Amino acid sequence: MYKKKLLYLLVIFCCLLFIVPSVRAVTPTRTPTPTPDKTTEIRDQLITNIASRVAQLKLVEKRGIIGKVNDVANTQITITDSQNNIRFVDVDELTKFSNPIVKGAFGISDITKNATVGILGLYNKESRRILARFVDVMTSPVVIQGGVSAVNNEDYTLSILTKEGKQIIVDVENLTRTYSYTQKGGLLRAGFSKIKENSSIIVVGVLNKTEENRLTATRIIFFPEIPSNPKTNSFLKTTQK
Amino acid sequence: MKKEKLILSLFAVLFGLLVAGSIFYFFQITKTSSNANTKTISFVSPSPTSTPAITLTLDAPKDEEVVGSKVLTVSGKTQSNAVVIVVTDSSEDVVTPLTNGTFTTTINLDNGQNTLEVFSIAPNGESISSKRTVTYSQEEF
Repeated sequence: MYKKKLLYLLVIFCCLLFIVPSVRAVTPTRTPTPTPDKTTEIRDQLITNIASRVAQLKLVEKRGIIGKVNDVANTQITITDSQNNIRFVDVDELTKFSNPIVKGAFGISDITKNATVGILGLYNKESRRILARFVDVMTSPVVIQGGVSAVNNEDYTLSILTKEGKQIIVDVENLTRTYSYTQKGGLLRAGFSKIKENSSIIVVGVLNKTEENRLTATRIIFFPEIPSNPKTNSFLKTTQK
Repeated sequence: MKKEKLILSLFAVLFGLLVAGSIFYFFQITKTSSNANTKTISFVSPSPTSTPAITLTLDAPKDEEVVGSKVLTVSGKTQSNAVVIVVTDSSEDVVTPLTNGTFTTTINLDNGQNTLEVFSIAPNGESISSKRTVTYSQEEF
């Protein structure tokens, strides 16, 4: 009896094993390949053209720089910009040159070493070169910031100590515009006599050609409420010792 | 009889579990790790840093930017109690930053290249500056 039951169970098990439907991987049906017609070709061409134009536009941009001339060649000017980087400027037949002092024709051959030039042109981000469209020789004023270390009321000069520890003599002329800034009063016109030692100061001027570390001020902004930089004070103490 | 067998087997299982558990417990207690496998983690309290120096970030204008308008917006961020001075080749402006340190002002540009220098001076005299070259031009090229 027991053996019979076991046999039945075995038969049922075998039947179930074969009846279960087998699972098969579904093969992907082939989608019809698009026929290369004229429209798709034009569309692809357009996409390629637009993409290349966008890339070209992104690669080149208008830029204006100021720098000191290091070297001048036939088609290239090498300058040192305001951030002390060496920049290569390409010049072609479309580049226009100018110098406010020179009246008449002015070209690349008239640009001298150490001259300050302003360049406006197309900057290539990949080559990092500028294709100049306008090259102008210019004079750029010098801006210094520091603390007043000495005031000379007799010859109207100021001694300015920058935070780098550089001592600069500033000549104050009749044409120099002097301003003082206070929290209450704001920016006001002031006289030379108001400038006090150990106060913060900003001077805009033109460097003296004959004497190094001396400039003629065109504008002065001093801050009677703000002391000179703590770094400047430490330099001052060491120089006084 | 069957009931007795069932109770006995239950007891046997429980006894087996008890023995296995106690063996595992004693194994874990007596286990020692070598020094090579031991990692020492020490927590060092951060050393006090000196007071941060004055900072200045200029959001606008970008350096070497070419603009078609004579009026230029200068904006950025610095210490809230600092004084911001914008100096160009021909003009100057003093701005007081907002409580969050941001500042905005407008300046007039000259034709061609303009050098723009922004200074931020803290009440203790500490200062920082940032320079930008901005070109005003309406030339098409």
